[in-house]
Order: sequence, then C-alpha cells, then structure tokens
Amino acid sequence: MDLSYFIFLSSGLFLGWSLGANDAANIFGTAVGTKMVKFRTAAIISSIFIILGAVITGSGASQTLSSLGAVNALPGAFMVALAAAITIYWMVQLGLPVSTSQAIVGAIIGWNIYSNRPTELGVLSQIVGTWVICPVLSGIIAILLYYLIRYRLKKSKIHILRRDTYTRIGLVLVGAFGAYALGANNIANVMGVFVDSSPFQPLRLGSSFTLNSTQVLFLIGGIAISVGVFTYSHKVMSTVGNNLMSMSPVVAWIAVFSQALVLFLFASQGLKNFLTIHGLPSLPLVPVSSSQAIIGAVIGIGLAKGGHEVHWGLLGHIALGWVATPIIATLLCFVSLFFLENVFNLTVYLP
Amino acid sequence: MFNGKLSLFSHTQPLENKIDLFHDKLLDAAMNFKKAIRIYLKEKRSDDYKKINKQIKQIEHDADNLRRDIEAKLYTQNLIPDLRADVLNLVENLDKVINKFDEVVYEFYIEQPDIPEEYHMRFKEICDLSSECAENLSIASRAFFRDFSSVRDFSQKVYFIEHESDVSSGHLKQAIFDSELPLANKLQLNNLTSEIAEIADIAEDCVDELLIFTIKRDI
Repeated sequence: MDLSYFIFLSSGLFLGWSLGANDAANIFGTAVGTKMVKFRTAAIISSIFIILGAVITGSGASQTLSSLGAVNALPGAFMVALAAAITIYWMVQLGLPVSTSQAIVGAIIGWNIYSNRPTELGVLSQIVGTWVICPVLSGIIAILLYYLIRYRLKKSKIHILRRDTYTRIGLVLVGAFGAYALGANNIANVMGVFVDSSPFQPLRLGSSFTLNSTQVLFLIGGIAISVGVFTYSHKVMSTVGNNLMSMSPVVAWIAVFSQALVLFLFASQGLKNFLTIHGLPSLPLVPVSSSQAIIGAVIGIGLAKGGHEVHWGLLGHIALGWVATPIIATLLCFVSLFFLENVFNLTVYLP
Repeated sequence: MFNGKLSLFSHTQPLENKIDLFHDKLLDAAMNFKKAIRIYLKEKRSDDYKKINKQIKQIEHDADNLRRDIEAKLYTQNLIPDLRADVLNLVENLDKVINKFDEVVYEFYIEQPDIPEEYHMRFKEICDLSSECAENLSIASRAFFRDFSSVRDFSQKVYFIEHESDVSSGHLKQAIFDSELPLANKLQLNNLTSEIAEIADIAEDCVDELLIFTIKRDI
C-alpha cells in the first residue's frame, strides 16, 4: 500500500473529522451545555462508541450507498468525498442546514452522471424516502417517550436530587448508544465510497478477533470522526447548545435516545434480520442525518408540550437540506471530476 | 442491589436530609412564633418569653447554617445544574420567612408593647394566619422536591390565608386607630401588626416564585 492511497483517503478523513466535530454535538450537546456531563467524559465515550459502531455495525448502510453508485477508482472516491466535504463547508459558511448523508448521496450521483452509469432509481427513492421517514419516526418515538417518562416521573415522586443522578447516568448511557448508532450509520458517509478500492489486509486482533478489509477502513474513518469530536466538537457544543429549543436534561435524554434509536434502526443488519424473521416491518439500511433525526425528536417533544415552543422554521430548514445539499454536491462533484480527469490526468472511474 | 443504590445516592442523600431539615426549621419557627406571641400576650417579657425568643434565634441560626451548607453543596458537587439557581432562590426565600419570625419576636422583646386585652384575640388571629401561611409554604416547597403536582394545592392555600391575614390585620389596625389609646401607642401597635402581617406577605411572594420554579421543573 503506498502513500498515495492515504492522500486520496484524506478527503474521507476530512469528512470524518467534520462529522465528528458537528454530529457529536447532537449526542452530547445539551448534556455538556447544561453541565450534566463533562466534555472530557462525553468526548471519550463518543470516540470509543463511534469507533465500535463503525467497525461492528457499519457495513449495512455502506452497502446501500455502494448499490447507489459503486465508486471503483480511488481518485474518483477521493473527489466524491471531497465534493461532499466542500459542500458541507460551503453550506455551513452560508449558514444553511447541512447533512453529511445528503451531501455524499449527491456527490455519488454526480460520479454516476460523470461516469455515465445509471443511478438506481429504486435505491435513490429508498434513500430519499428514509430522509423523510427519519425525522418523522424520531419525532413519533420522542412523543411516546415524552409521555411515558413524564407519567413515570409524576408517579414515582422521586426527589429532584435523585432524578438528577438518574438523568446523568441516562445521558451517559444514551450518549454511548447514540455514538454507537452514529458510527454505525454514518461511517458509510465517510468511508463508504472507499470500500470498493480498499487495499487493506484483514487485521488480526488477538487470537479471536479479525477485522476484514472494510472494517479496517471503517476503523480509520472512526478514528477520524473521534479526532473531530476531540478537537472541535466542544466549540460546536457550546455554540449550538440549546438553539433548537430550550431543553431540560430529561428532555435532552429523550431527544438523544429517539435519535439514536432511529439511527440504529437504519444501520443494524442484526436488528433488520430480527424484525424480518418475526414478520415485523423493517427499515432499509441507509445513512441518515443525525441532525435531522434530533430536530424531528425536538419538534415531536415540542408538539407534545403543546406546540408553543416549536420553531417551525426548522421544518423549512430540513426541507431545504433535502433539496439544496444533494444538488450542490452533485454539481460540484461532476465539475471536479472533470478537472481531476482532464487537468490532473487521473482515472476517476473504471469502465 | 441495596448497597449499589446506597452508594449511587451517597452524595445526594445527606443533602436530601439537609433540605428536609431546613423545611423542618421553617415549621419549627412558625410553631414557636405562635407560642411566643401567646406567651407575650399572657405574661409579657417573662422568663418563658425570653426562653422562646432564644429558641427562635437558635432555629434561625441553624436554618442559616443549613442554607449555606445546601448552597455550597449544590455548587461544589455540581448538582441539578438546570434547577440549581431556582433551588437556591427558594431556600433563600424560605430563610427570609424564618428571619422574619425571629425579627418580630425580638421586636416584641425589645419594645415590650402594651397591648390592651380587647385586641388579644385579633393579635392571636393574625399570628395564627401568618404561621399557617408559613406552614403551607413549607409543605408546598417540600412538594417541589418530590411531588410537584401538589405544589399548586398548597400554594393556593397560602394565597387564601394571606388574603385572610390582610383582612384581619386591616380590621385590627382600624380598631387600634378608632380607640382612645395615646397616639404613640397606636403607632407602635400599628407597626407591630404590619410586621406580623408581613410574614404572610413574604410567604405569598415565595409561593409566587415557587410556582414559576415548578413550571420550569416539569420536563
């Protein structure tokens, strides 16, 4: 394996870094912002569980992205990830809502168009469908949880100091689950396009564990996300904080749990198999936006509280994210691939 | 399981006890205040009155120590960060009521007012109403920590009793100024009546804030 591989992989690592910097705030933002959990604790837990989620459960959503567009040349994969990363950076600069999942899907479609490959409309509609289902499902789960927890808290007549202790433990546990689900679901965004060109050999860990080539790639991506969590998410947590709705720690717990559950539903092959075997409806394994999942949860809780605190503008933000992000990423990827192929003479796709 | 639970709450249990103890102090102050005014009306500044005055001073002193301890622990152990400011406000408000009980009993001790017998009933009545206000405030505040759905019930009682106290103290003041007492005496009794009624007013202010805290405490 030569150094050039890592140069091409750098765009994916950058994407991973930005994902860690932004999306960890969705998991631990309120807990850290309200000083219920220390940033250091949040960062360590996030990092460990994001990596575990990425390595253990990350392959499901990644396969769906591959079926949308199997980026088969390394320079092409580099540009797909870079186009997604630049789109995200650009939209963040413009103050527009952005999702890594939507950016990467747009960039893959850009690669498909450039390489004259048809985009599987069935897969695309499945992916776009999940973007709508994701916040709605998260909202429904949050509403149910809100009523259940509120009822239980009223019944239990627990002292606020004890409730505080339980909430802290709950925030750490749900944060770990949220980080695991984020790693499992969103590693596909970061490393999915590099899977087909992965040069890694299986890695033996002790005598009983072996990571396959894709898992090694996901481990590297997971580490990039963790670096993002450690180096930049504190800043995002302190600025983003409670900007969706002023949340109590218990409400934050509900929102994060709903988000994590939805991300996990869209990531876990095991859960999908379990639901299918038992004749229950299962969801496709697709990378979804953790930000939109949490916005869905917060809006759900806001509705359960009477709807006075809901910022309805957020719905417009989500819809804008669905449309603007993939279109910009598609265009950017298409133009960039043209430059990469014609100016730098690199093979961006194999026939 | 039991041990696990114990260690999980090992740092909150002592604070829970202190908060409970603080509420007990408010109840003690209210009870002793009622008793003190009755002793004064019967025996004026007797040894018994001096003794109960000291007791109330001690309650006030203990409550101050508990308040400081609660405040320090909430901050040093970084407990309930979202509600800490409200809890501190609440504890300080309750402490104001305890201080007022001590202040009024001490004023009687210093001024030794002459209270004609025909006003004794009225004085006892407004003392009882002020004490009741404080007692209900204590119950409402205790509920804030465990069972916030009943805060409203006890708060409503405080509002009702405070209104009764206003009416009663108004009648007493009118009776004092309609009497043939010397003006200095009238002014002194008027001032003491206002001081006693103020206990109920402070309790009402506490309840106003407590109800806001309760709304915030709901998830």
